[in-house]
Amino acid sequence: MQIKRTYLLLLGLMLLSSFAVVQHTKVASTEITLISTQTKFEVGQPIVLRFSTSNDVPLDLYCSNSYGSTVISSSLKNNTLEFVIPENITKKIGTVNWTLLDNSKSLSGKLNILPKPEVATMETYIGPPSIEAGGKDYTTLVVIPTDSLDNPVPTHTLVDAKFQFLNSEEGFDIYTKNLIAYRNIYSKRESGRMLVSSESLGINSKEFTINVMPSIPTDFKISVTRPHDYADGNQVTTLWTTTIKDKQNNVVSDGTFVTFFITNGKGNILKTTGTTIDGIANSKIIHPDFADKWSIKAYVDGMSESNSISISYKQVVKDFDVEFSEHNRQISIGPLQSFMGQMIPDGLHIKLHIYQDNALITTLTKTSFNGYTSFKLKPAIYKNGSYNFKIETAGLSKEFKSIKLW
Amino acid sequence: MVSLNKNILRTILIASYIMIVALIISGLSALFSYLNTGADRSTMLHTEIKKVDQYAPKMVWEPLQNEGRPMDDQTLNAIQHDYLDAWYVKQIAYKSNKTAGIKDYYTDSARENLFAFIDLNKAQDISIEATTLSHNPTLEYFSQDGQLAVITDRNVIEYKRVYKAKALIHETTETSTYQMVFLLEDGFWRIRHLVKDSADIYNNESQQINVDSLNIKGINYYPQANPWDMFGDEFSTDTIAKDFKIIKDAGLNSVRLFVQYEDFGKEHVDAKKIEKLKRTLDVAEANQLNVVLTLFDFFGDYSIMNWTLNQRHAEAIVNAVKDHKALLAWDIKNEPNLDFESRGQDNVIAWLDNMIDLVKATDSIHPVTIGWSNTQSATILKDKVDFISFHYYENLENLDAAVSALKTEIPNKPLVLQEFGLSSYSGFWKPFGSSEEDQANYHKKIQEQIAANNLQFMSWTLYDFTEVPTAVVGRRPWRRNTQKHFGFIDKNGAKKPAFKYISN
Repeated sequence: MQIKRTYLLLLGLMLLSSFAVVQHTKVASTEITLISTQTKFEVGQPIVLRFSTSNDVPLDLYCSNSYGSTVISSSLKNNTLEFVIPENITKKIGTVNWTLLDNSKSLSGKLNILPKPEVATMETYIGPPSIEAGGKDYTTLVVIPTDSLDNPVPTHTLVDAKFQFLNSEEGFDIYTKNLIAYRNIYSKRESGRMLVSSESLGINSKEFTINVMPSIPTDFKISVTRPHDYADGNQVTTLWTTTIKDKQNNVVSDGTFVTFFITNGKGNILKTTGTTIDGIANSKIIHPDFADKWSIKAYVDGMSESNSISISYKQVVKDFDVEFSEHNRQISIGPLQSFMGQMIPDGLHIKLHIYQDNALITTLTKTSFNGYTSFKLKPAIYKNGSYNFKIETAGLSKEFKSIKLW
Repeated sequence: MVSLNKNILRTILIASYIMIVALIISGLSALFSYLNTGADRSTMLHTEIKKVDQYAPKMVWEPLQNEGRPMDDQTLNAIQHDYLDAWYVKQIAYKSNKTAGIKDYYTDSARENLFAFIDLNKAQDISIEATTLSHNPTLEYFSQDGQLAVITDRNVIEYKRVYKAKALIHETTETSTYQMVFLLEDGFWRIRHLVKDSADIYNNESQQINVDSLNIKGINYYPQANPWDMFGDEFSTDTIAKDFKIIKDAGLNSVRLFVQYEDFGKEHVDAKKIEKLKRTLDVAEANQLNVVLTLFDFFGDYSIMNWTLNQRHAEAIVNAVKDHKALLAWDIKNEPNLDFESRGQDNVIAWLDNMIDLVKATDSIHPVTIGWSNTQSATILKDKVDFISFHYYENLENLDAAVSALKTEIPNKPLVLQEFGLSSYSGFWKPFGSSEEDQANYHKKIQEQIAANNLQFMSWTLYDFTEVPTAVVGRRPWRRNTQKHFGFIDKNGAKKPAFKYISN
């Protein structure tokens, strides 16, 4: 048994070694040489690598390009190994490296697939899409001219970048480098729309638009318009800005937010806001109902401010009558007359402060109607007794002391 | 009497009533809370996305001198992240010939080129396993609106294995230069154009390190209390210092220590473990011992997709201790030939080959070796390593022949018998095992052979262990118990007879 096994083993070994020898001689005798001499190809051109071989064993070829690697099988004709490089490799530019997968793997090389000077599409990227006028801000046009096989064109291909703005039309010659061509486009003094396009090797891009926005507003002036200067608490005063412009004299963008600060005679601040249209903002505020002096200043927050103006309002209600009736529980006020003697328009505020034992019990507020108003003090709330009253309206006040209610 | 009984009865009734109600309530509340458990509602928002590193080749950016807008760190990071992901999904796609993930990292027109390759390779049953080991990108251009970038990545080292019909037909390492246009689309930096500018076969002529002065007389070391977990919670420099003194006093000059891959934090190496490793080296230096540091212990994954992660691990550890005076040499992997069967010999050797390149690139001073488990494998990568290490647990009679065979194959490099020993276990699981006298005789004999063959040596090991993790030799008790008794010093701290022959 043992002998038989050893015998078999020996036999096997001999067989194996003979194989090894055969293989060895094969390799030694198989002269494989590269016949193809061309190493530079234009993209899209079919490529066939040919090797001469002295035997008829088909081999594989490893090859790898920018995107991936694969293995190609050979076809054998008259002692020539032919490898047809697949289309997905021949249609992309860049280096293709290959290795013949014979036993020694000693044959390897490189092919250069060169871009062709042909443009099919102008891949254009432009941004940012809006910039500020004034010559400092810029946007960038990046153009990647690509051929019909979606490859970038050769380095140093001319691209004509064209800009139209207001009256000027300009063209710049830029050249592709690192696969792209680019140009920075600086704004001019004026705001407006800039149209951009590019051209390379006879192919034109689409039209692109850049908005050149006015830059930040500069200081401006304000004015007021009002129907009259009476403090009637009824008419509306309109506050206006002049046309707000940036430092290049461009009218600021519509919608620029303007805040008007009004400081009244008591030092309180009233505020009203508006947004610009064609550079002008306006805002409205109702007249005060008592004589007052306003000082007004406007701001575009954090950017610019206006001059300060002041306006005054004249008192309209000179005096008013107060009449107590029905056990002094009915207090009638009026007539309240305006500047021409006309009844004051409805809605003037009248306040009645009620004091008992020098302490304020309550304040009642009513608005005028047809120039009059009246307060009715109900016995259930205001018990019989002695009260002080103070009536305020249109900045005037009148006091009535020790009025008995019963 | 009657009323007392009634009161007792009442109390019991009321108490039991309360008990029942309490039980019902607790039951209902348990049910209620059970029904309310489950996914936390906040997880619906997916606010927390944990980033997992899958691909971490060495990335060295050239200084930023790009045209266009100045680059900021955050954007550059985002581009790098997506660029590496683009490589990763491409590698996965070519390995599996599936298109998953491609569309996130390549634009509509660019992905067509990858799909064409996938279709081509799928039709011919070709798959390509690949990884990139190093990148040197230069940012060429960054557009004003921050949406377009051009990058040239020079000398990308790509390792590829080409399979046809599941059989490996080609293995290659290439160095290539790529130029790319990236577009920011949907929050991804996607590759729009990709052009390989040059490609060459990569030949890394790693520098051989002079090992003439190498004179290893050493021992493999694990502390007795925590073997195979040296840098764990029980790490103690006092214990190590005591042991190193014993080793030094025994006439030895070096120890072999092990750095475990997972224990040290895989690709994100744990700074605390590094600290412990450095302190151990400090103790070795104080005791005038040199250290052979074995990397990648308890590691068995050689898959190409994880090479970059493995390399970051090795790089971090090598960088951390390469300037330490106690360091003598790097041992890339302990007994990698045992993984040949399960992981594929080609895979393991390619992994080792590239790991040697990495370690040598990181540390150009210290020699590199591989701890082969037998003399037959020791010739593998003999031209890459600086000295040859092998382990020998076989019959001593064959040692001389094995060594002389090795010497004829590798005449010019020092041979280190890096592990040898005999277990003095003889007991229930191994009734005819060796005794402590046998062990002493073994060491006496082998030291004679070492001297005769002019070998350098590191024996296994200082201590008998009380615990051996199952990951070391498996669960079989006869193997675990044997492994516990290889020491020169027994578990009670007494020197065994073999201790006399610990050195020559």
